[in-house]
Amino acid sequence: MNRIWAALILIGVAVCAWQGRLSDLSEELLNSASDGLYFVLSLAGVMGLWAGLMNVARRTGLMEKLARLATPVMRFLFPKEADGETRSLILMSFLANLFGAGNSSTVFALKAMEALDRENGRRPEASDAMCMFLAVNMTMLQLAPVTILKLRQDAGSADPGAILLPSYGAALLSMAVAILVCRLAEHRNK
Amino acid sequence: MSDFFSALSAVFIPLIFTAVLLYGLFRKAPVYDFFAEGVKEGLQSAVEVLPFIIAIFVGIRVFTASGAMELFQRLLGPIFGLLGVPEELLSLILLRPVSGSGSLVLAGEILQEFGPDSFLGRAASVMTGTCETVFYVLAVYFGVTAVKKSRHALWAGLAGYAAGIAASLWLC
Repeated sequence: MNRIWAALILIGVAVCAWQGRLSDLSEELLNSASDGLYFVLSLAGVMGLWAGLMNVARRTGLMEKLARLATPVMRFLFPKEADGETRSLILMSFLANLFGAGNSSTVFALKAMEALDRENGRRPEASDAMCMFLAVNMTMLQLAPVTILKLRQDAGSADPGAILLPSYGAALLSMAVAILVCRLAEHRNK
Repeated sequence: MSDFFSALSAVFIPLIFTAVLLYGLFRKAPVYDFFAEGVKEGLQSAVEVLPFIIAIFVGIRVFTASGAMELFQRLLGPIFGLLGVPEELLSLILLRPVSGSGSLVLAGEILQEFGPDSFLGRAASVMTGTCETVFYVLAVYFGVTAVKKSRHALWAGLAGYAAGIAASLWLC
């Protein structure tokens, strides 16, 4: 990540310098930082909301129950994951993603990552479970990609929903490949 | 079917709230206190990810706004061309993993220009509906952890992304 991030900025600066537009870039640099802040501020409310509700679910024991329901899937993806609370956070993140609640999904995901990090002993290398969790979340199927359906409608599509089945197919394939790569990497490291 | 899923997505959040609160009341739990306690934790997480989100925003904006992205596209264009990827979709394919909002704007433009029901329009829609912002997820999720080496997470995500793109072209 360190190298990717530095490369993004250095290449950007180099290209701009080459085209003689460095002054545009200074503005862009400053603006992007404040955009980042605004984004987090808008996310913070949603984060607080979900974290609050999740705390209710956790303290009342509802989350444990939920985690038990999804055991088969979770055992396949996260064979070493024993903690019920972490499992239910992962599950909620997947569900929120599935239902297209992107920001909410991020909240659960961050909580799940914190829990996975503790279980990993705060080591600098990512655990298998973390990688699997990211891979699945990066490729998660979305039941109703609302934004793109709206865009299609606005563009005057005769059938905005015609893309749903191909989308599900593509997403399933994408998930399968990501999970497979994780599994292969896990085996190679053993 | 799309109506059904849209409706389901629309009621997802209120439904969860109702279920959790009803369960809490049934268990005679102090739901208000628990909620407030959780909000506090949630806000702390928000503060924790803030530096990483700012960093990734800056990196991606500099890269896209500087014209490096276009240069990158021109370099990669011929390679993607050989693989049979239509040139018109190239910028969407390259932008999607780094910028969610940017790629939505781009998808909107493609739909307007080529028509939502054309092959390009459908492929662009499926790509946008399927593929996630891989780099953003990577940066933000690991941001709350002590992890410095992300191991195979990026490769798994990118492989999945490539598979998603290939499938969008193939299934449309």
